[in-house]
Amino acid sequence: MDQLNERVKKEILEHTKASSDKLKENIWNHLDQELFQEKSRKEKKMKKKSKIIPIIIVAAAAIMLLFSTQTDTGTAFIKQVKDMFVPEKEIIQSIEGTEEETEVVLKEGKDAEYVIYMDEERYKLVKGESSDVITTKEPLEDRYPEVSMEIEQFKDVAPEDMVATLETEIASTYTKVTETENVTEPVEGYKIHGISGSEWDSPVTNVYVIDNRHGGSFVITEKYFLEAAEGHGARFYAILQEFKIID
Amino acid sequence: MNKSLMKEIQSGNREAFRRLYDEYADYAIRTAKAITRNDEHAKDAVQEAFIRVYRNISSYNPAQSFNAWFYRILVNECYRLLNKEKKLVPLDPSLVEISPQLLVYSQENISDLYDVIQSMADLYRIPLLLKYIMGFSEKEIAAILELNHNTVKSRLFNARNLLKNQLNLIEMEGN
Repeated sequence: MDQLNERVKKEILEHTKASSDKLKENIWNHLDQELFQEKSRKEKKMKKKSKIIPIIIVAAAAIMLLFSTQTDTGTAFIKQVKDMFVPEKEIIQSIEGTEEETEVVLKEGKDAEYVIYMDEERYKLVKGESSDVITTKEPLEDRYPEVSMEIEQFKDVAPEDMVATLETEIASTYTKVTETENVTEPVEGYKIHGISGSEWDSPVTNVYVIDNRHGGSFVITEKYFLEAAEGHGARFYAILQEFKIID
Repeated sequence: MNKSLMKEIQSGNREAFRRLYDEYADYAIRTAKAITRNDEHAKDAVQEAFIRVYRNISSYNPAQSFNAWFYRILVNECYRLLNKEKKLVPLDPSLVEISPQLLVYSQENISDLYDVIQSMADLYRIPLLLKYIMGFSEKEIAAILELNHNTVKSRLFNARNLLKNQLNLIEMEGN
């Protein structure tokens, strides 16, 4: 029986040869993100929640929005925005198979031409010259590829023309680009998906082109990496479901 | 696992958890690969097992074997994935005990003992894998699989008899 034991053991170990360092590191990266980055975020959130009564949060957000309307130029539009949308609310999003209740805050986009509800515990909205960029509040370590969602309006480019330009552009950046599709979720418009590789850190993009109803387009470019598809990818999706154009 | 490492992990120390991961990951991946017969499932099972270990480490009783606790979590994750894919033979022990069928897959193309093991029903296959990959004792396997010690003993006995017979067959064919 000893001889049998030796042989069985040898064969099993040969067939289940030690895993590659790459696989081991991939698993660790997932654990690191899930357990330590998420944990740090949740702790901050709980700390904040324990100190502030929800009603005060709502009131403060409303006052902040009111003040912001007095300093911006597009006051009329923003007032309309304020009247139309609640300053903050809770949404349910599905993250890695688990329903998660998230508090989101109303943000008005560049020149108040759109609004979006954003999870401010995780993300920040950076307003630029030509576009707005939503990115992680805490900078990611260098080993992680870019995680961002850029929203840009092209007032003179019709959606169909925009799609044709973007298809070429994305194909030159990503090794695999799926055929452009018409989508109704998370926004109504066109979607182009690109990915380079199948590793945990392979860059992924989803580009949405939305009709701005005045002959132009909104282009929303999500960037993240494969391992973050069910994390940041799912959260961007939830944010985009709240994207509204202000006429 | 020593007490100080456990305390550090309980306090949320990332480096301490990494040390635990480095110590356990290789054999956890081997075991999950063998049980799920699928590299992707193995990766998912190992990931989820470590997440559960981290989140539930305060419920671990230091009087018991950490190895057994860890591998119980890992094996349960493997079962969960196998069930999800509906590839698992129903694990209702009463059904299987009435009609003990050692081999659930066709024996065609079986050329070595690993193939024989992988063609066995899970209730024989998994104790055997735990025994040979990790060197667990019957008592430890019973604790991991939450089975009676004698049940494990009997399953290992039957499985090893089958292996012995198959080995004879393979060798006769070879001659």
